Amino acid sequence: MTLALTRKTWRDDRRAVVGWAAGVAAFTGIYTGFYTQFQGAAELKQDALPKGMLDFLGIADMLSPAGYLQATVFSLIGPLLVLMCAVLLAARTIARPEEEGGMELLLANPISRVAFAGQRLAAAGAALTAVAAMPGAVLLILVPAIGMDIPLSRVVAAAVGLVALAWCFAGIAFLTGAATGRRGHVLAVTGVIAVATYMANALGGMVDGLGWLRYLSPFYYFIGTDPLQTGWHPGALLLLVAVAAVTTTAGVILFDRRDVGV
Amino acid sequence: MTRDIAVLTEDLTKFYGSHRGIEGLNLEVRAGEVLGFLGPNGAGKTTTIRLLLDFLRPTRGNATILGRDPRRDKAALHRQIGYLPGELSFPGRDTAAGLLRFLGDARGGVAWSRVTDLAGRLELDLSRPVRAMSKGNKQKVGLVQAFMHEPALLILDEPTSGLDPLMQQEFLGMVRDARVGGQTVFMSSHVLAEVQQSADRVAIIRDGRLAAVEQVESLGRRAIRTVEIHFDDPVDADEFSGLPGVSDVVVSGPILRCTVDGRLDPLVKAAARHEVVDLLSAEPDLEETFLSYYYRAEGARDDTRAHA
Repeated sequence: MTLALTRKTWRDDRRAVVGWAAGVAAFTGIYTGFYTQFQGAAELKQDALPKGMLDFLGIADMLSPAGYLQATVFSLIGPLLVLMCAVLLAARTIARPEEEGGMELLLANPISRVAFAGQRLAAAGAALTAVAAMPGAVLLILVPAIGMDIPLSRVVAAAVGLVALAWCFAGIAFLTGAATGRRGHVLAVTGVIAVATYMANALGGMVDGLGWLRYLSPFYYFIGTDPLQTGWHPGALLLLVAVAAVTTTAGVILFDRRDVGV
Repeated sequence: MTRDIAVLTEDLTKFYGSHRGIEGLNLEVRAGEVLGFLGPNGAGKTTTIRLLLDFLRPTRGNATILGRDPRRDKAALHRQIGYLPGELSFPGRDTAAGLLRFLGDARGGVAWSRVTDLAGRLELDLSRPVRAMSKGNKQKVGLVQAFMHEPALLILDEPTSGLDPLMQQEFLGMVRDARVGGQTVFMSSHVLAEVQQSADRVAIIRDGRLAAVEQVESLGRRAIRTVEIHFDDPVDADEFSGLPGVSDVVVSGPILRCTVDGRLDPLVKAAARHEVVDLLSAEPDLEETFLSYYYRAEGARDDTRAHA
């Protein structure tokens, strides 16, 4: 009885999770592995791209190890992959079975609605954490292996930030799915918020007078604090976790109150 | 709340926005009985069942299941309920065995021999992935999971849909066994015959309202059927419309269509005067005839009783 639903959820999500974890790990490994060959080209790229474009892409400089990791793994595609996985797994907790009809058998399990949501969240949360932690795990091996000159604690700080970012958006996605039971809504709402807050962080960093915009963006608390250069910012990370906790709790409450499968 | 009543609904009402699902449903399922819940598609059967299981929340009124509140006591209640969804869909890629193990574990453990017994009875291969199964086999998986933990209350939504006639009989046998074992069965259907065979009482729902609750005996062994006869040559409708029990006679050229209530003998004798090419007889869908006949007027009900 204990956690039967969590184990079932893992089993059902196994393929997707393994695929995403492998993809994210490969992406991190390949980009990081290019570091040594990339140094010459980086200079060219750095000169070729206008300053504004570099700022917008979150690329401060591509020459230092910190700048290189920030430009490759932690700026656009890394978070993008992890957030896509977060939305996918969050949508699977409630919205997908509700739309596809498998929900009735799952919900007929002898557990309360809150416990149901809890077990689904536990499974999805653990799987998502594993995927989001992949860049950190790969970097912990590769950074010393190829001799990148950057303290591992800073790499871990950025990698943990990526996990916190994933939780934050997974919370928003879960809330949407738990409240509406519609996968389309999950993708639309989370996607729009992700793009809007990414832009807010990018523009806030570039345009004078719009600096305050950055503080509205989860991306700022993830990478705007520059963890690869400056290390840990527990307050920023806790804020991301708090957003995840609040949205998740709200989702469970709304799910407990509504009609399911209408 | 007395333990003699397995399911009690009082003024149970569900609106979806302004659309009425069910309204003012007062229903009582006694412990240990088999209650057939009959009605045409869209009448509110599934809405009622989902309210009983706390998937939906009532707009008004309430339900009491095994003396408990469906929402507050969901966890404890669902352990004692075997539920077969009307629109059966299975989560994940498990084999039937894997899925049933999960559902058994989630309900606190089910003897595996019980599962294999039921699967054997329904001739279900447990080693195949549920996702790849035919509709009939999926329905069997649904039945096994509903019965396997020997719940006090079985709530079955259209349990025979997709089953072939042999398996329908097997299912009715399972319902009889459950009744003997003291389990309560609440099963919806839109087919009168299967309910007649297995139920003690029948509740009839139409347009979201409870139309009647009757002992099965008082429904009578009504044998209404539609008959179609193909003759070699065109026939005259007048020859048939006056026959006892025959109504709704329509003749188009050599083809006669009519509804027969009771014995077919008068119609067959009349038809034998002509060259008969083909004769088709079908039990009409409840939706089409039974309800409209039974509830056309109060007088029709008395007529039905007289037949019984």
